[in-house]
Amino acid sequence: MKKSIRLLGILLFFAIAIPAIAQPEISPERKQAIDSLALEKVKDLGKYISIIGNKDTPFSEANRVIDRALELFADDSQMGVSSLNRKEIKYYGIREYFQRLMALNYDRINIEWFNIQYISDLVRQPDGRYVGVITIYQRFTGESDDGLKYVDTTKKDITVYVERKQTQIQGRIIGFWDVLLGDIRVTETKPG
Amino acid sequence: MLFFYFCRIISGAGVPKRWMTKKINTFINYTKSHNSYNFMKSLHKILIFTFIVAASAGIFSCKSQKKIAAEEAAAAEARKIAKAKADLEELLSDNTGLSLDEKESRLKVIKDLNIEDPEVKELIVKVEEKLKREREALMAKERAEKLAREREEALRREGTEKKGLDDYFDLIANSTNLATSNRYIGEALQLFASEEVPVLIIISKSGNIVDYDRPTTIRKYLEYIKDQKVVRNEIENVVYDANGKITELELIKK
Repeated sequence: MKKSIRLLGILLFFAIAIPAIAQPEISPERKQAIDSLALEKVKDLGKYISIIGNKDTPFSEANRVIDRALELFADDSQMGVSSLNRKEIKYYGIREYFQRLMALNYDRINIEWFNIQYISDLVRQPDGRYVGVITIYQRFTGESDDGLKYVDTTKKDITVYVERKQTQIQGRIIGFWDVLLGDIRVTETKPG
Repeated sequence: MLFFYFCRIISGAGVPKRWMTKKINTFINYTKSHNSYNFMKSLHKILIFTFIVAASAGIFSCKSQKKIAAEEAAAAEARKIAKAKADLEELLSDNTGLSLDEKESRLKVIKDLNIEDPEVKELIVKVEEKLKREREALMAKERAEKLAREREEALRREGTEKKGLDDYFDLIANSTNLATSNRYIGEALQLFASEEVPVLIIISKSGNIVDYDRPTTIRKYLEYIKDQKVVRNEIENVVYDANGKITELELIKK
């Protein structure tokens, strides 16, 4: 009986461990390419947010950009929003966040992202996905015609998921790396 | 007293009736009580006196009218100068909201008044200099715009003749306005069989292993270039159909 249980345990171990081991580690060059790809997607998001927030962007154009930006995110991801005027950080679904950004009550808005870098490298998970965290600094400037001006700089951490997927393009099977952004959490907010 | 009433007659105020009656009676009594020689002598004196008074009154009256006219002319001139100064200062202040042609026209009207006031003359010189500068700047701007239009037209002509997909990527990324970038996107899409033509982007090649980014379509890719304002990929492979339209595009990271 004891022998049977031990055998079962060994079989179970291999059943769990072998699939993970069976996925070969990717070469440093390929890993580097994936790292760069994920970083690029975050930079793309920064540009999209700048376009959506910009009051000069036509409504239809902003909505088109929202659709493009949403394609960067994993389902149910959330965006943290902070303000110098309150302590709490509010979290919104990504679409709601974009819509609120579009509707902000300023006459001029400028949003720029800078110092975009990994704070936690992409690490392969048991399910084969790579997960990492990229940090960005966002400088928000909102101005009204009556002279009101609000400026803050927020540090945000973005969880990044990279997953190997396949699709069929004109009869060919194409393997690709799908980069999806997860929750964006506010870690620091300061004036200026 | 006589002069006073004379003036009243001249000015139309009239002479009191009682005074006139009194004078006439005095004259009748006088003629009755004197002989004709004395009467003639007195009449002569009276006429000379009357003439002197009348002449003096006339001179004084003319002088007064001239003075009034001169004062009115001076006041009109002062108003003209003040108006000219105000207009010139407004032209200098840039708050007129007028076009350059309108400003030049207004200056010409002021100059045509030939006002001999040093301050006005000085202001005219200043406005002339300012309008000259504005005219030069406007002409320079018009020249630059004309050049830009010609350059763009030349590019467009050249582009429609031999513009390739690479050129469109650059043109879209470097467009300074939405309308232009959308026009280039429209033109670029003409090279493709449809807007849904797949675009594959190679992120790395390692031996036989090729890693791609998530596939997209040509419209989305062109719009991506428009949004990001940068071309990060170059053309690796293009597949055409029998009509010479692109049916598949493969790009690779630069």
